[in-house]
Amino acid sequence: MKERIKVALAQISCKQGDKAENIRKIEDNVIKAKQQGAELIIFPEFSLTGYTVRDCVYELAETIPGHSTTVLEKLAKKTGTYIVFGMPELSEKTQATIYNAAVLVGPDGFVGKYRKMYLPTHSVFEEKRYFRPGCKAGVFDTKLGKIGLIICYDIFFPEVSRLTRLKGAQLIVCISASPATRRTFFETLTAARAIENTAFLAYVNLVGIEDGLQFWGGSRLIAPNGKVLVKAKYDEEDLVIGEINYADIRPIEAFVPTLKDLRPELFDELREAAERL
Amino acid sequence: MKLKPSVLDLKWTEVETKIRRFIKDYVEKSEAKGIVLGLSGGIDSCTVASLAALAIGGDKTLGLLLPEQETFTTKDVEHAELAAEKFGFKTEMIDITPTLKAFYDSTPIFKTTDKLCKGNIKARTRMIYVYYYANRLGMLVCGASDKSETMIGYFTKWGDVAADISPIMDLYKTQVRKLAQHIGLPKEIVTKQASPALWPGQLAEEELGIKYETLDLILYGLERFMKTEEIAQQLGAKKELINKIKLRWVSMEHKRRMPLTTKMQYRTVGADFRLPRTLH
Repeated sequence: MKERIKVALAQISCKQGDKAENIRKIEDNVIKAKQQGAELIIFPEFSLTGYTVRDCVYELAETIPGHSTTVLEKLAKKTGTYIVFGMPELSEKTQATIYNAAVLVGPDGFVGKYRKMYLPTHSVFEEKRYFRPGCKAGVFDTKLGKIGLIICYDIFFPEVSRLTRLKGAQLIVCISASPATRRTFFETLTAARAIENTAFLAYVNLVGIEDGLQFWGGSRLIAPNGKVLVKAKYDEEDLVIGEINYADIRPIEAFVPTLKDLRPELFDELREAAERL
Repeated sequence: MKLKPSVLDLKWTEVETKIRRFIKDYVEKSEAKGIVLGLSGGIDSCTVASLAALAIGGDKTLGLLLPEQETFTTKDVEHAELAAEKFGFKTEMIDITPTLKAFYDSTPIFKTTDKLCKGNIKARTRMIYVYYYANRLGMLVCGASDKSETMIGYFTKWGDVAADISPIMDLYKTQVRKLAQHIGLPKEIVTKQASPALWPGQLAEEELGIKYETLDLILYGLERFMKTEEIAQQLGAKKELINKIKLRWVSMEHKRRMPLTTKMQYRTVGADFRLPRTLH
C-alpha cells in the first residue's frame, strides 16, 4: 500500500439523463487529473446520470457491474487510476429495484460498490420514493489504501462514517449532490467526520442547476485534524488535486484518540433510545 | 425563532448571482433566443428584466409595456424606460385598450361593474401578448411574481403568473425591494407602491389591508411551520389576522398547481407522472 497518494476532486455538472455525455466528461476529467499526477479521481453522486432524473431513473439504472461500469473500468485500466463515481444501480434480481450507489473501479477493473444507507425524503428530496436503502458499509482494500465510500446525506449520520472507519477505511470518500441551501451543514459535517474518525475525508459535490436546484460544489479534501487541504470553487466546475499522507493519521490519532476511547457498551443504549424515539 | 425584519436579510450579491445563473442556464438549456416579459414599471418586473439583461444581455431581453386606458399612468412608462435605459434591455409598447374593448363588446355576459373579473381579463390579455411574442421570436416567457403574492394567491390565475420561469418567486416582496436596491434600480422604482394595475387606483397593500413588511414576516413564520399563536404573539398582531393570512395561503393552492384531475390510470399528469423539467 502506498503511504502518499494524490487525489483529484472532479467537481462536474451533469447533463440530466445523458449517460454518454456524462461519461465523456468523466473521461476528460480523468485524463486531465492523470496528467497532473492523480491516482484516485472522485466524481459526485449520480455523476453518470445527473441527480434529478425522477421517473427516468427506471430507464437509466444499470446493474453493477454493467455497461457503464465496464466503460469506466476500461478507462481506469487505460489510465492506471482509481475512479469513484455515482449512479443508480438496478438490482440484479429484480427489474425496478434501484439503489443510489457509489462505484469504485481501478487499474485491475471493478473494485466495489456502496449503496447509500440514508435516503433523504424531505424538502426537495424524494430518494425513498425511488431507492432501496443499502445496509452495508463500503470499504475496499486497494493499492491506494483502504478506501471507504459514503454518499451525501449519510454524512449527517455519524454511525455511517464511524462504521466505515471501524472497518478500516483511512480515507472516507463522500460523493454528494447537495443544493446550495445546505452548504453550511456540509462544510461543518465533513470536517467533523474527519476529526471524530481521525481519517482523511474527500468530499466531492455536484455543480450546475437541475430543475431549479443549484448545487454548490465546494468539494474538499480534509485531513484527520479537520484542516482543509484543498478545496474546489463554489458553484463552478473545477478539478483540484490534493495529497494524502497516511502517516499523518498517527499523530492525530494519538492526540485525540477517539478510536481508542470508543465505548461499544453505549451502542446498545443508543439503539434502544433510537427505537423509542 | 424571533420574527424580526432581519430574518429576511439575505446575501444580496449571492442572490443576484444565483438568479442570473438560473436565468442564463435555463435559456441556454432551452436553446431559446432570449427572454420576454410583461413590464409594468413596477418593482417586480423591473427587477426581473434587469436581472435578465445582466444574465443574458439586454439585446436578448425584451420588456413588453402593455398599458390600457383605465390604469395607464405616465409614471409607470417612465419607470419601465428608466430601468430599460439603465440595464440596456429592449422595450416595446402596445396599447391593449382596443383588444380589451373588443373582448368586452363581444362577450354577452360581460359586466363592467364586476371589477375583479374585468381586471383578470386585463392580466390574461397581457399574458396572451407576452406568449405571442415569445412564440414568434423563439423566446421564453419570464414571470415576475414574488413569493408574497404567490403564497397568498394575489395574482390572476393563468394571467400575470403564467410563465416558463419565475426567477424571483422564492423572494418575498420586501426582499425583492432589497435586491432591486442592490442591483441599482432607481429609488423611485424601489420605493414605489405595488399595484397589479387591474383597475384605477388599485394599490396592493390597501387592498390586502396589510403592509408587506408585516405580511412577509407572517408568511416567513408560516413557511417555517410556526404556529399562528406564536406568530401573532411575536408580531403583536391579532391571531385573527394571522389565521386570515394562513387561510388565504392554503386555500389558494389551486392557483399554484397544474389543474386537478381524477386518477384513473397508471401514471397521471400532475400527480405521479414525474419527469425532470430540463431533460435533454
